[in-house]
Parts: sequence; C-alpha cells; structure tokens
Amino acid sequence: MYKIGIDLGSSFTKGVLVDDNNNIIDYHLTRTGFDFNKAAQKIIDKFSADHEIQYPVYTCGYGREELKIPFASNSEIIALANAVFKHYNKKCSIIDIGGQDTKYVTVSESGQVDKFKMNRKCAAGTGSFIEEIAFRLDISVEEFTSLAKQATEETKINSYCTVFAVSEIVGMIKKGSTMPNIILGIYNSVIDRSVELSPIEDFLVITGGIPDNHPLIVNLFKKRFPNCDSPEKSQFMAAYGCVLLNLENNI
Amino acid sequence: MSEEIKEVAKLQSVNALRKTMDEYFLRLSTAAETGNKKIAWCTSVGPAELLYSMGFEVYFPENHGAMLGASKLADKYIPTAVAHGYSPDICSYLTADIGAFLQNETPLQKNGFKSVPKPDILVYNTNQCHEVGDWFMYYAKHFNVPILGVNTPLWINELTPSIINGIANQFKDLVPELEKVAIQKFDLEKFRETVHLSHEGCVLWRKVLETAKHKPSPINFFDSAIHMGPIVVMRGTQYAVDYYKILLTELEERIKNNISSIPNEKLRLYWDGMPLWYKLSSMSKLFAHHDTCVVASTYCNSWVFDDLDPKDPFESSAIAYCKLFIVRSDDAKQNVLEKLMTDFSIDGIIYHDAKTCARNSNNRFGLQNRLNEKNKIPYLEINGDLCDSRCYSEEQSIIAIETFIKQLSTRK
Repeated sequence: MYKIGIDLGSSFTKGVLVDDNNNIIDYHLTRTGFDFNKAAQKIIDKFSADHEIQYPVYTCGYGREELKIPFASNSEIIALANAVFKHYNKKCSIIDIGGQDTKYVTVSESGQVDKFKMNRKCAAGTGSFIEEIAFRLDISVEEFTSLAKQATEETKINSYCTVFAVSEIVGMIKKGSTMPNIILGIYNSVIDRSVELSPIEDFLVITGGIPDNHPLIVNLFKKRFPNCDSPEKSQFMAAYGCVLLNLENNI
Repeated sequence: MSEEIKEVAKLQSVNALRKTMDEYFLRLSTAAETGNKKIAWCTSVGPAELLYSMGFEVYFPENHGAMLGASKLADKYIPTAVAHGYSPDICSYLTADIGAFLQNETPLQKNGFKSVPKPDILVYNTNQCHEVGDWFMYYAKHFNVPILGVNTPLWINELTPSIINGIANQFKDLVPELEKVAIQKFDLEKFRETVHLSHEGCVLWRKVLETAKHKPSPINFFDSAIHMGPIVVMRGTQYAVDYYKILLTELEERIKNNISSIPNEKLRLYWDGMPLWYKLSSMSKLFAHHDTCVVASTYCNSWVFDDLDPKDPFESSAIAYCKLFIVRSDDAKQNVLEKLMTDFSIDGIIYHDAKTCARNSNNRFGLQNRLNEKNKIPYLEINGDLCDSRCYSEEQSIIAIETFIKQLSTRK
C-alpha cells in the first residue's frame, strides 16, 4: 500500500507517492485551477495507475479541506518544516517561495516550528510576480534562467508593485538596460523581498516552485548566505511532510 | 476530515445589551427630532463625562464607523470618501463614515434616524490619533457648527505633571465654549457625579474583562468587542453601570457553573490592535473550532479608566485619558502588555497590523520582538484593517492562524 501527500497550492498542486519505507517513489505536479478536487484527482489517478493507494490521502495548502475523497489535513508550514528537518536533521531556517506566498520558518533542534512569517500586504517577490513580468515582456518563464546567466551587471528593480515594476522595467529598457541584466535584478528583488521577513541566522534552506524553476535564484541566495542549501524537487517538501506528519500521529 | 462545528456559548446579556443600545439611540433620535436636548459629537476617548454632565446627548462617530464595519457596509462607502479626496490610507472609520454620509445612508436608519444626528457642537481628543480632528472638521464645516479639541501629545512615556496639568487645563478651557451651546450651565457637582458614574462603569467593565483570567474563560474578545458598546457611548451614565452589572452577574454565574466561552479551551491568546469588524463572527468560530480562546485584548482594555476620581474631576480625567494604551510610548505599552500576559495566562499573541490605523498597530516599531525576547511568548502578525476588508487576505490569514495554533499546541 502506498501513501499520497498532496499540497494544494494557489498556483500548483504538488503530489508525492510514498512507499512503506517512507521514501518518495514518484512526484506529480499539476495546475490547481479552480477545482481542488479535480487537481487532487489528477494526482491520485497518476499514482494509482500502477500502485495500490492507501486512504486517507494527506493534504495541506489552500484546498486542504475541500476534497470529496477521504483526507487528513495539515498546515503546510508545519508539514514543510517536518520534511525539511527530516532531510537535514538540524536546526534551520526555511524560505519557501511559492505562487503567491513567501514563507519564512525557523525550525528548532527538535524539529518543531519555532517561528514563522508570511509575506504581508502584497505578493511582490512570489511566483505571480515573475509570471506577470514574463507575460508582460513576452518572455517565457523558462527563458528567464538562460537570459539571467548572460547578465553582466544587475539592474535594480525598486517598485513594490508587480504591475508598476513592469512600467519601471520599460523605463529601464528605454535607458538601455539589457534584458539579462533586468532579469538578474528581478531575481535579486525576489530575494530582497524574502529576506525582509526576518534576519537570517541559521542554516538556510530554500524551497518552493520558484527556486525549483529558477535555479539561479538558489545560487544568488548561496552567494549572500554561504550556509544555505536547496533540496532537489523542493516544492514537493510540504506534500511529503504531510505524509511524515501523519505517520507520526498514526492517522 | 470534516469535524464537528464547535459553537461559542451565547451570552444571555446580549438581549439587555440590545435594549440598552436601542434606548441610547432612541434618546439621540428624539433629541435630533425634537431638539429637547443639544447634541454633541465626541471621540470615543474624548471628554464624554463633561458633555453628559452639561446635558448633551452624545453621539460617537467612531461607534458609527465600527457599526459600518460590523454590518459589512464599509466597503460600499469607503470608495465614495476616497473619490472626494480622502486617502484610502487614512482611518477607515473616517472614510467609511464620511462615505456613508455622502451617500446619505446609515445603519441608524433602522433605529428611526433619517440621517446621523445633526451636531450642535463637535468635541474631539487626539489621544488616539490626530485624524479625529480632520474627521470632525469635515462635519463642523458641513453643518457650520463649532468644533473644540483637546490636543493630547502622542507617544507619552512618563505621565509628567506638566502633561497632566496641560490636559486638565484644556478640559477646563472647553467649559465656557460648551456653555455657549449647552442648554445648561456647567455645574461642578454634576460633573463630579458624572465622573463618579463613569468610574463605576469602568470598574465594572474591568471586572467583566477580568473574568477572562479564569480558566476556562467565560468570555472571549469577540464577545467583548460587541459588549463594549455601552462603555464607549454611555460612559458617565447610569445606563452603562446598570448594563455591566447584568453582564458581570452572568459571567460570574458562568464561572461558578464552570461554563466556558468556547467548548474546549486548550489555548489562551491575546489580541493586540483593532478588531476586524467585518470578520468578527467568522474569527470567533475559527478560534473556537481550534479550542482556542482569545481571552484578552488591547482594544477592549482601552476603555478601563480606573483613574477617574470625582474628588478632582478635571485632573483625574486628564490622567485617565493620557494613560490610554494607544497614546503611550512603546516602552510604556510593553509594561502594560507584560502584566496582561501574566494576569491572563497567555500562550500566544496575535498582532493585527491594521493598514489604516497606525496608532493601534503596535507591531510597527519592534515591540513584538522586544516583548518576545523578554517573556518568550510566541506571536503572530496578521495584516488586515478595521473596516476596509480589501486589506485583508483571508485564506492566507487562516493558514497563518491555524499554523500558529498548531505551533503553540506543541509547546503545551
């Protein structure tokens, strides 16, 4: 029997398939859209095609309690902290950058959430910020990384507001800034927003869809904070944490 | 899995509250229609005692603002005020209230009012913020009536004699101006009597709030935010005293019979800052569902004026109104909070950072970290607003609150 963890985020739904030894044997990612059930079912259908699934499924995220199938829900912050702690087995701080949330979580030596904060007031510096800029500038999100690698210097983005950031960028283009330098500025502004949440003191772990899809952001984090890492497929950490949490609680 | 819905135990006193508030509004509407009494508009922490002692009926626009928020009408009116040149960044009580006035609408129409009661005079105190002066000035110009202000310095650290004397003198300076409008002359004995009633009402209100020290608590913040109406608008009258005797009796009975506000109190929280008026009910249910009682708050405790003393009504009014939490320095606020945390056995603090209320968002200058370093009580900051629901991201806040509750549960 295999267990499923599902993180129903605002933009993407992440699923993990976990075996009896509590190892992840498969991952699946799908757009959340407007129907949480449909998104969760896509994950379940994918995994149940070749494996016998155990219910309840373990959920977290915005749609964690909206499912019609048997589920056990968790806070995604507690789930994320749990999985990250299991992975590194030490006190750490986590910065998780997702579709519209940036979270800062500190995890104690015993693996408990010590403190957490979320982005406040606006979603600048999240996935939505990058998506909006990519859409306005007619560049695919996939092109961001290769363009940023060509940067010779950073063009600083000042605007708090995503929409006004685009007009700021248009102004920069008029003044002769290159797209690679601008994208490097966008990446750094994502980091600036996230480190505003709290002073960084411990070993830092970067997770979420943004670092997974924009590996250069992880490198830029490591430049600023040498004591830093990002696990592979980090955006699946919360989904995995759901499974681990419920094993502990015998649900 | 869907769990059982846990209900907050309903206070029976709510019927007496409704009656008390209805009668207050009836007195106001009668004065507005018949002119049997002059009407003064007053800030919620303004010199209500002085006005009541001089025979005014007293109307409180901030109470009206809270009504607009609680009835989920504020969002309808705020844009109107913004269109007329009032920034969306200023007090949303103000913008909701002026917006409603511009649209000629008010929830008071249910109480028989044609409009808000026309003021004969407006009196404000800046001990909460300076925006009340601008707010009242709008109506003073509109109705062409006098406006008086007590200008309290903000950020009072130590309450020095010079501050107290200055404010007491400002209170005294109001008297001749009020006499020009009032039907009756100022009478020191009447003022003493009003201050005495105000003190009695405040002591009862404090005792009501202090019942929450009991484990489990018989009352929660969301109830208190509703039941504080009389202490805000009838402070200095027998009506408030009579009501809080009823409420206190019920809460003491609850303690005696071990009836708690929420069915299964496991965690006790402190709420700092303004309520989210448009989410009072859903917030109350959210916390109850997670066996968490918000037992105390900065907001409700702000109306405890123990220092009022009929022996020296002017000076004691000055002391009481300058001791107000909102007008104090962060160090003075921290001292108050430290004591409250201990008195109410608090497990965690929620700071509501209200976008349009800088003075009562107490997490903007590092106080939350300094307090946490001292007492190690975890805290959560949520962003929202008192009336402007556009500033509140509900899903994100629910996730944060539920995570915070889980985080606190692991510490128990």
